[in-house]
Amino acid sequence: MLPVASLLILVPLIFAAVTFFTKTKTQAAGLAFLGSLATLGLTLYAYLKFDSSTAAMQFFESIEWIPSLGAKYSVGIDGISMPLILLNAIVIPFLILYSWNEDREAPNRFYGLILTMQAAVIGVFVALDFLVFYIFWELTLIPLFFMVNIWGGEKRVHASYKFFIYTHVASLVMLLGIFGLFYASWQQTGIPTFDIRELVSQFQFFESGLLRDAIFLSIIFGFLTKLPTFPFHSWLPDAYTEAPTAGSVLFILLKIGGYGLFRISLPMLPNTGSPRLIIMLLGFLGAFSILYGALVALRQKDLKRMIAYSSLSHMGFVILGSAGLVTLSVSGAMFQQFSHGLIMSILFMSAGAIQTNTGTRIINNLGGLAKKMPNLAVIMMLGFMASLGLPGLTGFIAEFLVLAFSYVNLPQFVLLALLAIVITAGYHLWAMQRAMFGVYNEKLGDVRDINSLQVFSMGIIALLVVYFGWNPNPVLNMMITNSEAIVSLAAALGV
Amino acid sequence: MVKTALEEFALLIPLLPALAFVITFFFGRKMPSGGAIVPILAIATSFVISLIITLRLLANPSEVISQSYSWFAVLNIGILIDPLAAVMLSMVSFVSLLIHIYAVSYMSGDPGESRYFAETALFTAAMLSLALSDNILQLFVSWELVGLCSYLLIGFWYERPSAAAAAKKAFLTTRVGDVMFLTGIIVLTSDLLKLAGGFSDGTYLLRFDEIFSYIPQLSTLQANIFGFEVSHLTIITLLFFGGAIGKSGQFPLHVWLPDAMEGPTTVSALIHAATMVTAGVYLVTRTFPMFIAAPDSLMVVAYLGGFTALFAGTMGIVMNDLKRVLAYSTIGQLGYMMLGLGLGSAIGLEAVGISIFHLVNHAFFKALLFLCAGSVIHAVGTQDMRELGGVGKVMPITAVTMTVAALALAGFGIPGTSIGTSGFMSKDPIIEAAYLFGEHSSNWIPYIFSIAAALLTSIYIFRLIFMTFTGEPRSNYHGHESPAIMTIPLSILALFALAFGSLTRTGFMNFLEETFANSFVNLDIGDLAGIGGNKLVEAAGHEPLFVLWLPLLVAVVGLAISFVIYYLRIIKLGSLASMKNPVYRLLYKRYYQHEIYTEFFSLGIVYGIIAFLSQVFDVIIDSIVEGIGILTVGVSEELRRVQTGVIQTYATGVIVGVSLLIILIKLILEVL
Repeated sequence: MLPVASLLILVPLIFAAVTFFTKTKTQAAGLAFLGSLATLGLTLYAYLKFDSSTAAMQFFESIEWIPSLGAKYSVGIDGISMPLILLNAIVIPFLILYSWNEDREAPNRFYGLILTMQAAVIGVFVALDFLVFYIFWELTLIPLFFMVNIWGGEKRVHASYKFFIYTHVASLVMLLGIFGLFYASWQQTGIPTFDIRELVSQFQFFESGLLRDAIFLSIIFGFLTKLPTFPFHSWLPDAYTEAPTAGSVLFILLKIGGYGLFRISLPMLPNTGSPRLIIMLLGFLGAFSILYGALVALRQKDLKRMIAYSSLSHMGFVILGSAGLVTLSVSGAMFQQFSHGLIMSILFMSAGAIQTNTGTRIINNLGGLAKKMPNLAVIMMLGFMASLGLPGLTGFIAEFLVLAFSYVNLPQFVLLALLAIVITAGYHLWAMQRAMFGVYNEKLGDVRDINSLQVFSMGIIALLVVYFGWNPNPVLNMMITNSEAIVSLAAALGV
Repeated sequence: MVKTALEEFALLIPLLPALAFVITFFFGRKMPSGGAIVPILAIATSFVISLIITLRLLANPSEVISQSYSWFAVLNIGILIDPLAAVMLSMVSFVSLLIHIYAVSYMSGDPGESRYFAETALFTAAMLSLALSDNILQLFVSWELVGLCSYLLIGFWYERPSAAAAAKKAFLTTRVGDVMFLTGIIVLTSDLLKLAGGFSDGTYLLRFDEIFSYIPQLSTLQANIFGFEVSHLTIITLLFFGGAIGKSGQFPLHVWLPDAMEGPTTVSALIHAATMVTAGVYLVTRTFPMFIAAPDSLMVVAYLGGFTALFAGTMGIVMNDLKRVLAYSTIGQLGYMMLGLGLGSAIGLEAVGISIFHLVNHAFFKALLFLCAGSVIHAVGTQDMRELGGVGKVMPITAVTMTVAALALAGFGIPGTSIGTSGFMSKDPIIEAAYLFGEHSSNWIPYIFSIAAALLTSIYIFRLIFMTFTGEPRSNYHGHESPAIMTIPLSILALFALAFGSLTRTGFMNFLEETFANSFVNLDIGDLAGIGGNKLVEAAGHEPLFVLWLPLLVAVVGLAISFVIYYLRIIKLGSLASMKNPVYRLLYKRYYQHEIYTEFFSLGIVYGIIAFLSQVFDVIIDSIVEGIGILTVGVSEELRRVQTGVIQTYATGVIVGVSLLIILIKLILEVL
């Protein structure tokens, strides 16, 4: 059998390296597209071979790396990582097609960075050793930093540094937690290891409750900042907004914070010193992020900034569902990551197209665009409806699972989150009405509709939002299998 | 076997219009009339299948069609066609079909024609799927899709700012109800999970039969709200009813409905008659066993329904816009349906019969009223009744059919016989039930509401007829009768508005009561009522004669008042009907609800909080971050004197980070 997990990192990385040396835009975009197609092919191969009835690790590979530290290069795929790899592999080719006709300087670096990013993110998803995990985790910073810094908007320098430093500091705190875990386990067993699953299961044997809490909290801090959640979100609006469209979509595909929650934090959670308190805290953060993101989004004048805050609101469901600690609420949280990736890609692509074609993103300066951009209007409407949680589209499945099943354990926070639903509908429809409907704003001049490659790429993602909205099972079933494993751990401990 | 064949066809009822949506959406532009033929054929087929199933159920009410397929997790998608669903399916597909045929002419030449037919096809599909859901989640999903389609269709002429605003208002107002409905489902789900003690294989958690079988256990769950012990069933049903309030335009969430006429008139006809607004009534009916077993819930339904009927009437009498008057009449009639259901606390399952009977009759005459109004607007070009007058001379068919509809709405018929319009046949039983309820519980409020509302209804609908069709034209318009493709649906609907009620009366209501009596789930409604603390009337006594005749009497009085004022014009309203009169102004301004809701409530309060939250809070958080950032940048500025460039900064970061780490790890190990 193919070493799929390793290939999924290597293929985009090699294509990225070659893309950096291309001379023309066509070469760069073409090569990057080929690379992303190869990755998609590999992913589909892995998906078809994947057994979703088991929570065990599949496509497992392990090679000794630094024996004295117990560090290994070990990778594998299970039901937590498979859907996220799939999401990445699906969106990247269409992202390249979407930006095919855009003119920009240094296209070789632009497309090379997109593939580097893909390799890094998949690397985080397949890594089973903390060192490998951390290397890829930090590697994701570099393409995003340059994306914003080189091709971003007016305040790109500020936004890129803010993002870099903020999440880097959070990552260092996380690294601290990882080392704490490593040393404590070493003391406990006398054998050094960086194996994620081994360390996570060793966690429960540490005697000091304070130490367990400290390790847990410093690791989850890294994840919550990356996700992000209130109150660690303030890098997000600047970075998402200043990034070029492709950069914003890459930010959206950066699902590593939520992934870490499922892979590392949730299995550790029941063994912390004060699990009830932490669950309450997470439940609150999740529900409050949902409400807070929606409220702030309502006030935004910039379309892209509004979508950025809406993203914050959506990520709250990931935390709330995780804190719910019921099989289906955790599955809903996982599904929200998948769904959010698809939906937000459409939204950022729409906002990007509006900015490119009209020259502005300020909602009040738009108006009546549906007349001039009918294709965009249809796709954007679908994206907005999905984002506000309309049934029949993926967002609803995720939100329903999270809300309905978290209610079992955390009714107060679910009710808090429910308050946001009307507000969420409000800012979406408000933006749609101001920007797309009404009388066409003649000041904008003659505006073109999105090009056919953009219609195709956004259209396919939109169709996927509809498809998974009616049939979530191809990814949801494996999520349920793995959530069951996570939750049964907690249940065994009576949490 | 015939039976299996029919069951296989049941799936097609919502599927065909959904398919028609896809075809028309992608290929309609290239077809004649925007591809209207596709949805028409699809919905016609759905209607035929629905009708056959209804007729078969009529012969044997226990031959319920029930199919369930796994959807995701413990939830399913399924089909349940019992008498209630069958009646609803037949009505929706029939009325929608006629409106689609009519729209071929009405919408011809509109640049968005194909988009129109695609969206109405989806609208119909969603409503049909709502009617045949066998579980509450699918009902909710369809419910939301119905909401989406109404949003798209009300805002069909999106270039008009008023249409875009009305669409948004409709969606957001009903969304308030939808959240309550969703909350009800969430509470129910978690209760069922607790009662069932987890998931068991093969059962679908939210199927109606599953839910109903837990009613006795659900009623034992109590929650403490502000010191009151409230049954979970009451909470859940009232949350469901919250959804129904939004969708069915009940007070106080009715504000979207009068604005919803910004869409094409055919859309108004669909929304007001067949799809959308009936969904709320249907939801309460579908979950009626839960309502009757929940203490106090039906009382809330009855009061709110009765009040809405009256409230809508007071505004209906002062509106000058043809479609607006009709919109208020819809709100009022929906109020009657809710009232009828609410009376179930006294009359049991009979409530289901009278309410749904009125729903069906209302669909006929309301669709007719809107299509007639559309015919007038189409021909004359205005919908302001002050500019109309004398339209009857140029549009005789429209005038006659609309008068028939008005008679049905006002409820004309001969009491004690089976001669009368459809509206009479179903509205009177509701008023009589309200009397019975009054007698039973000495609570006469619902009865008073229903009689007063009947008077107002009669006044405003004949005011509309007289102002539009009689007298001299009050503006320069060139009218002509609409083409046959429009007048034929009008005539068919007029026939139904006139005769459907009297032809089907008793059989129809009994048939509907079968829904919960001996099919699908076997429930003893008396037991359920007992759980909810409702005492049903043992045997209906003989009502005094005046109870039978009073509704007709008030209808005649209403007609007479309008005749005198708007036909003979003997009494001049003068200053009474001017903005100087505070009462008139209050009514005309619709009790200032728009101002209250939009400016005061949403903008004032919510925006105030939001402004505070976002500006202060987010700025504070960001300032903290930026503050730390400035410190960091200060450090890096220092370093930049030595080295410049991003990679160097990164390297610095890593070095600083790692040294910090080593120190901290040392500290931790010290502690250990």
